[in-house]
Amino acid sequence: MLGEFEYLILTAAAGLGDQAYGATIREEIEAATGRKCSIGALYTTIERLEGKGLLESWMGEATAQRGGRSKRMVRVTGEGVQAAKGFYDAITRISSGASWAANRSQMSEGAS
Amino acid sequence: MRAGWFWVEAASRLLARDEREAVLGDLLEADERALPALLSVLGLVARREAQQWKSWKPWVASFGLALPSSFLLMGFSVSVSWMFPQVLHSVLEIEPKTNLVLYCVRHLIPQLLMLTGCAFAYGFVVQMLSRRTLWVSATACFVPCLFCLTRFRSESLSWVCLFLFLVPAAWGVREALGGRRLGVHAAIGLAVGLIVLQTLTSNSSWLNWLFFAQLLWPAWYMAAVAPKRVQQT
Repeated sequence: MLGEFEYLILTAAAGLGDQAYGATIREEIEAATGRKCSIGALYTTIERLEGKGLLESWMGEATAQRGGRSKRMVRVTGEGVQAAKGFYDAITRISSGASWAANRSQMSEGAS
Repeated sequence: MRAGWFWVEAASRLLARDEREAVLGDLLEADERALPALLSVLGLVARREAQQWKSWKPWVASFGLALPSSFLLMGFSVSVSWMFPQVLHSVLEIEPKTNLVLYCVRHLIPQLLMLTGCAFAYGFVVQMLSRRTLWVSATACFVPCLFCLTRFRSESLSWVCLFLFLVPAAWGVREALGGRRLGVHAAIGLAVGLIVLQTLTSNSSWLNWLFFAQLLWPAWYMAAVAPKRVQQT
């Protein structure tokens, strides 16, 4: 089972596709959670996910915006997709009876 | 601003090259100020350092090998150093040359070889087990050295005698750099050779064997983990 932060990284990386690397993943997570995402936590978790075979990473191109420094590009593997899906399903199932989840479904019904 | 980034760059040198590139690039892209950037880099360095200690290897290298064995190797260095005045004594006081040669062959040379072999294996295994935490192992080695240095009182021996083992130990560390391993034949040869030298040169008291067991295990560990084919570097 994934941890919360691991799931956030996998989901951000999957959503970003070819543009998934340290800075963009960090930005996505900060925007989604409203919390500061530390570089230390990000890179050690990326490495852990890579060790589990859920992510793969490689050194990408350097840009002037980055002071000529390379990016560490990230891609979610098939196993990563399965793990993230499993986590999402579990969270959805366990949240079904919770008041905040019920409110959310009422809100979405109201909106439609 | 620039001065602040100098410290960020300096701190990032503690990271692996690729990671340094990626992290500094991310910080520049996010337009981070120098202080938060410095804290981010130091946070990552601290996490990386802490990660090393999740394994048993750096613990064994630092506190199971570097610390206790440096005491023993210093004792061994002093004991070998004591043999030189004895050799001089035999040259000056005792007449025949044969005595000197015999003494060297029987005692001095085996002890020197033993010290060299044990210290080499010590340095090699410390480096092998704690590649990225070598600074902790080095500290664990040098603290007993300083302790003994401050208490070393001898009129006939120089304080340098305490540190004879450091030369072969540094050689061992150098040989193990870059993840190199000794070939299986060389490693077994070293381990067996040390046992033979130990059997030939010392008395058979269990205390003596216990002392040498701590000095000999690195050589046997090297033999146990030696690859069948030597890694080409």
